[in-house]
Amino acid sequence: MTVDVGAAYPTRVRQALADDALRAALDRATEHLRGRRAQALAGVDATRLRDEAHAVRRYAIEHLPDLLEQLEGNLIANGCQVHWARDAAEALGVVLEIAHQNHVKDVVKSKSMVTEEIGLNDALQRSGIDVVETDLGEFIIQLAGEPPSHIITPVIHKRLEDISEIFQTKLDTPPTDQPAELCDTARRALRSEFLIADMGISGCNFAIAETGTICIVTNEGNGRMVTSLPRVYVAIAGIEKVVRSVEDAVLLWQAASRNATGQDVSVYFSMSSGPRRRGDSDGPDEMHVILIDNGRSRILERRYGDATLCIRCGACINICPVYREIGGHAYGRTPYSGPIGAVITPLLEYDIRPARDLPFASSLCGACRDVCPVKIDLPRLLLDLRSDIVERRAAPIAERVGMRVYSTALRRPAPYRALARLARRLGRLAALLPPLKRWARTREPPRFAAKSFATLWRERGRRPGEGAAE
Amino acid sequence: MIYDSIEARDEIFARLRRACSGSRSVFREALAHLKPPDPPTPVTHADGDRRSLAARFGAKLEAASGSYEILEDAAEASQRVVQLAREWGAAERATESAAETIEILSWASRALPIENLGELLKQAGTSLIVPDDMHDERTRARAARVNLGLTGADAAFASTGSIVLASGRGKSRAASLLPARHLVLVPMSRIHTTFEAWLRSLRAKQALGSFLRVSGQVVFITGPSKSADIELYLTLGVHGPKSVHALIFDDIW
Amino acid sequence: MTDISTPRPRAALFVTCMVDTLYPGVGMAAAQLLQRHGADVVFPDRQTCCGQPAFNAGYRNDARAVARHLIDVFWPLVDGGDVDAVVAPSGSCVAMVKRHYPILFEAAHDIEYQRRAVQLGEVTYELTQYLVDYLGVADAGARCPGRLAYHPCCHLLRELHIDAQPRRLLSSLKDAEIAELPNADECCGFGGLFALKNADISTAMGRRKVRNVNHSGADMVVLNDVSCMTHLNGILRREGHSCRAVHIAEVLNGTVEHATAERDSPDDR
Repeated sequence: MTVDVGAAYPTRVRQALADDALRAALDRATEHLRGRRAQALAGVDATRLRDEAHAVRRYAIEHLPDLLEQLEGNLIANGCQVHWARDAAEALGVVLEIAHQNHVKDVVKSKSMVTEEIGLNDALQRSGIDVVETDLGEFIIQLAGEPPSHIITPVIHKRLEDISEIFQTKLDTPPTDQPAELCDTARRALRSEFLIADMGISGCNFAIAETGTICIVTNEGNGRMVTSLPRVYVAIAGIEKVVRSVEDAVLLWQAASRNATGQDVSVYFSMSSGPRRRGDSDGPDEMHVILIDNGRSRILERRYGDATLCIRCGACINICPVYREIGGHAYGRTPYSGPIGAVITPLLEYDIRPARDLPFASSLCGACRDVCPVKIDLPRLLLDLRSDIVERRAAPIAERVGMRVYSTALRRPAPYRALARLARRLGRLAALLPPLKRWARTREPPRFAAKSFATLWRERGRRPGEGAAE
Repeated sequence: MIYDSIEARDEIFARLRRACSGSRSVFREALAHLKPPDPPTPVTHADGDRRSLAARFGAKLEAASGSYEILEDAAEASQRVVQLAREWGAAERATESAAETIEILSWASRALPIENLGELLKQAGTSLIVPDDMHDERTRARAARVNLGLTGADAAFASTGSIVLASGRGKSRAASLLPARHLVLVPMSRIHTTFEAWLRSLRAKQALGSFLRVSGQVVFITGPSKSADIELYLTLGVHGPKSVHALIFDDIW
Repeated sequence: MTDISTPRPRAALFVTCMVDTLYPGVGMAAAQLLQRHGADVVFPDRQTCCGQPAFNAGYRNDARAVARHLIDVFWPLVDGGDVDAVVAPSGSCVAMVKRHYPILFEAAHDIEYQRRAVQLGEVTYELTQYLVDYLGVADAGARCPGRLAYHPCCHLLRELHIDAQPRRLLSSLKDAEIAELPNADECCGFGGLFALKNADISTAMGRRKVRNVNHSGADMVVLNDVSCMTHLNGILRREGHSCRAVHIAEVLNGTVEHATAERDSPDDR
């Protein structure tokens, strides 16, 4: 892979910017997705959909404890086993325990960011359990040994020829430039996995409190396979996924579909309310639901609740001019990239420092806020996070000193004028100073004017014909 | 309980109660209490008589890469099922070494919306496979071979071309999932305008909760299985059916 | 608004620190535009900066110190009725005052300054917004021979929702041909401290904007913020393009040729 997700932020960015194939793939894909989204929203009352989706999500978060209790009660009544996990380690412990109890050897998974978040695949493999990603994109990157680089289209960073090459080496198939052929190869390979798997694992798009139902949105049908074929089905849901009613889930499903891929609705919307019923021919004998916190309650405690409204559609990622230049891997070892990733990656961590560069990886252009289907004010959250980082003294010392000089000088006119005079005198030499050097490497620096506006204005005085100026 | 998560549960709830209750908002902007619409406004729209709803359903299904036919009545639909099973079966036999008889992975005859369709298909020489336990290895292996799935639909929606299938006795999930072709029988009486209208009618009958909870799984399906993961090229049938063909028929007399 | 029977509106000009020190011509153009179109201009000369560089970088204490000074300079004029409005030739700095000042002082529980910030924000305008919405200008009454592309700066467009006003004024220019800028509403990549902290990404975004500007065939790309203008000109000049980014005030004031000639004087490089 061209971007090493384990490297430091500046290295990751440099690697991404140097990769022309990556950036060509990102350009093409994000433009396509943006176009599809716009088309899908043109056909509906997009403003109302947005207002209502926001209200529905906000209601759920405001009533989170009550809704979670209701959800838990209904899941249990439906025959599910409910587990609570405070963090990744606890969630992994639960999954492994369920796997051991059921003598599980083969796991099939549908695309799920929360399982990426907790590093589930590694944990299963370390315990000697085979785990296969069944979403086509996830399957491809699993073969390539890479993490996903986009929450909706995980293999957005790869071109057709790259994928053909991966299949040639890993699956021993002949080279092809036909996506349908690659798709057929994957269908055959994964079909046999579905048929032998003893456990299916999925994430959760929405968990309906009033009925105790776990909803999965997919286009390929792997979500149905994972929830229907193996004897044991485990759904892992972030605690923020709960919604009030069936109607709310159906609303959010439509909002997510239109905003993610520009479809009216995804091909499949699977609503699982428990194990197979008496007389059913298929469906799991056991259904487990793991409700995981892993930093989410801390997000609420820190009043970043807006970030928990997210329905993971990826619209903010596809519109982001920064993501388009660097792609998902530049955001590091996190499944969440783009603006929402820059917000929740540092928030999910106990320590903000490892991801402290991410909130600054934005020009604050605001395009993300305008497209968000649940109206998350992402620039605001980025600004607030930047402030938190500075307050924790996690910003570079030179920057802190620079800002102090700035604010000391500019809070009064005299030192401001003095500083401006000094800058004028330094002239182009200023471009040699470390912060400006970064500017001047690729851009001509501006030149200070011989006379400031204030001076010109004073000198001009009250000239005739210029109106009654001061 | 496999894992004692009581302590985890209590701590999570304690934190949430602390964060979510009281005067302090968990959000950046403390808006005046925002009451979400209950139920939300329908996103899509459709109207007209049952014929025009049927046509709209078909057109939307087609837009989602599916296909459809509108037939006069159940009798015509039955004949069409037999005819299609034969055509497709013949096509398969020409290309691969398929089974001698035409196999159909189907819902149980009583779960299909056309009476005696099962009988008719058997008389026509097709073999109807209705799995009783997909966890049984032989049943599973047998079901996995079949290329044609046949189901009814619990509901269908004109504004999106979607169908709803609720799992249950005689209504295997496999029939609409494993075969490359899914043939779905849609009586016009089951076609609703929108999701929201259908949900509202279930809610009014106080049947919504039980509809979901009686079934292990309720699934909305809109067209064949799709992926755009490879450079955003649309490919069909990556896991589920490559084709979804709806036979819509008039059942209101 | 420009009825003879009523007194002329009085606007306090907030030129912004970048215009003051780097582009005084833009400030002059703004002042002349306001005067020509019927407003009296007051220039409070103790003004410095809005505090945005620190705020965007997360340094709220530092931002507050500078913001308080701006409020101390402008709020008494507004509160005392000496001016009807504060006008700045920048979408970004106006957005700072209108959108971010209340957040800044709310976070510090500084109720008095929060109140003043809100009061100030209500009468703070971006230049073209003031010209069109307040003074009712429909025709800039200037001439600008050449092919112009308009780039809507992000904060102007998405924080203040100002777009029609500058476009209308540009379309009134004589001898100007307005070129369609592909993907006009995409960020140019400046982003304040982002341009330094993430200089490479910022440059990549700027180069993309420059490609689109070139694609439009424009001789000038017009915008409402000198910060984005500096960034784009930095790339245009470094990469040897003849096209220049120019501030809308100079274009509408008909003083743009002078301005570009000054910026591209022979000792420049």
